[in-house]
Amino acid sequence: MVTLDTSSRPVRRAASPTKRQARTAWGLTAPALTLMLLILLVPVAVAGLLSFTNYSLGNSGFDWVGIQNYERLFTRSTYAKMFIATFTYVVTVVPISVGLGLGAALVVNSMGRIGDIYKTIYFLPVMATLLAMAIAWEFMLHPSIGAVNRTLEMGCGTWLETLPFFAKGCADGFPLWLGDRDYAIWVICFIGIWQGFGFNMVLYLAGLTSVHRELYHAAEMDGAKTGWERFRLVTWPALGPTTVFVVTISCIRAFQVFDTIEAFWPQGGGPNKSAYVMMFAIFEKGIQQNLIGIGSAITMLFLVFVMFLTLIQRWLVERKVHYG
Amino acid sequence: MTRDWWKHMVLILGAIIVLAPFYMMVSYSFKSPGEIDRGEGGFFGRQEMMVDERCVKLRDPNRDEIAAAAPHFPGKTDNEIRLALLAEAEADCSMRPIVFNYSKAFTEAPLLRYLLNGILVTGSIFLIQVVVALPAAYALAKLKFWGRDTVFALVLFCLLIPVHAIALPLYIMLAKLGLTNTYAALVVPWTISVFGIFLMRQFFMSVPDDLIDAARMDGLGEFAIVWRVMLPTAIPALLAFAIFSIVAHWNDYFWPRIVVTGNRDLFTPPLGLREFKGDGDGSFFGPMMATATVIVTPLIVAFLIAQRRFIEGITLSGMK
Repeated sequence: MVTLDTSSRPVRRAASPTKRQARTAWGLTAPALTLMLLILLVPVAVAGLLSFTNYSLGNSGFDWVGIQNYERLFTRSTYAKMFIATFTYVVTVVPISVGLGLGAALVVNSMGRIGDIYKTIYFLPVMATLLAMAIAWEFMLHPSIGAVNRTLEMGCGTWLETLPFFAKGCADGFPLWLGDRDYAIWVICFIGIWQGFGFNMVLYLAGLTSVHRELYHAAEMDGAKTGWERFRLVTWPALGPTTVFVVTISCIRAFQVFDTIEAFWPQGGGPNKSAYVMMFAIFEKGIQQNLIGIGSAITMLFLVFVMFLTLIQRWLVERKVHYG
Repeated sequence: MTRDWWKHMVLILGAIIVLAPFYMMVSYSFKSPGEIDRGEGGFFGRQEMMVDERCVKLRDPNRDEIAAAAPHFPGKTDNEIRLALLAEAEADCSMRPIVFNYSKAFTEAPLLRYLLNGILVTGSIFLIQVVVALPAAYALAKLKFWGRDTVFALVLFCLLIPVHAIALPLYIMLAKLGLTNTYAALVVPWTISVFGIFLMRQFFMSVPDDLIDAARMDGLGEFAIVWRVMLPTAIPALLAFAIFSIVAHWNDYFWPRIVVTGNRDLFTPPLGLREFKGDGDGSFFGPMMATATVIVTPLIVAFLIAQRRFIEGITLSGMK
């Protein structure tokens, strides 16, 4: 690096370099701006327009159908199932994966270096290709040769059989899991939690490093004797920003669940459409059945949900921190 | 330590559940179909020699082959020769289950091609993301120009749009351009990483202005400054971003599933695995799990080697 001669600096600060700098700046941002427009903003507009039409790929023209597509979304039972499946998934996966993530972070954090082993293990599902792991889970849940039902069968003949679940399972066979409409969505939720909580744990661990030790001492002085009180008075408030972020990102990821459902039920979204989530609906209606109008309408609703969530998060965060 | 025993109990239980599918995936990839069906053989299976039925069937000798082999078996009937040839074929076709599973994984489907596709696609996505995002991030962080705040506001707005969510209109646009079933379709939607721009901009804000001024004194243009001054300072942030981007796109299934239909030459690893599952019969659990293991292993190994960096990279999105 050349040493800086400060005395000569003001010379450059003339009017023309400023203009030149502006031109270079636009030159440097132009590719990004163009792509942002073409890949992110135009598609949103396209989806918005197409959601009011009956367009199909391959047709030369289309008709404007007004709000017919949206009307269908809110009146047909298929889409009622879609909303139920999506919200069941989000409302189950988000609190549990955030709670488990927080719990794991607190415990791991309290045990020093040994905790790192657990951290590594819990983070593995985040790295692994979800589709491959979904197939592994499918084998585990296989009704006859899967490890899950084999393990459960070991409980037959022991005291466990007094539990209603085991009594029924040992008598008539354990659930089909993926083939059973009462269990299908919960299995999907379980895999979502299995995959996601390690990610939340790591975010919380990062958040915990910023909690000052002195705060705990201060709380103890003020009479916070139990671990629960220290958590309630110090840790939880200090983790506020992390929680806002973790909840938002978990929600957005949960809304986008697709891989597991497509892997288990390539057609139809589960037994009796019990796991027919929005992403799968967009894929099935828009891409496979070429019903682009209705697919676009689902896309728009999806975007509204996601944007709404992110805006709430930004609003919560920006009361404390500012970008820049 | 005694106080901690319950913590270990809980954490170990969690670890068993987390590791179970990994254990099973790797274990099945070692076992023979019979062992998988009966659920025996422990982790590695017994690794007894097994006969690949398909391979034997392919070598079922016909009349000409028996006639051709006759000189090698003097004084034997055709039927005896046939049986001898079959025994030979069986001997050639028998192998350890682990060899069977992994060789099938690579020969039943062009897995190597899928892996190369995966590397090509994730690699080009990352490179283009950097080429596009870095100059923009530099301009937003260090140059003063009219409209800068608007551009940055636009970046913040675009952060709200998940690319998976707008897959349908993107697919339609690509289809109209005739680009479905091309490498371009796999890469194009990801070329702009708004998150990358945001992240690098935050990073560049902390680079001292003096460094840039010094470079200008040396006569470097703004373009050269981006690549020769800013890029080297940004290596740690870029590395984290690389991990973030590569993990996301290596594992992505949704987008490739949409734009690649049928053309096996373009399959990325998850698509290849999906195809395997689609046309697999019961006896192919072993090779399928071998494929899954092959696909999952590179990132897991890289993660185990460079844990700290990976966790940093993946949780990057949490940095403010």
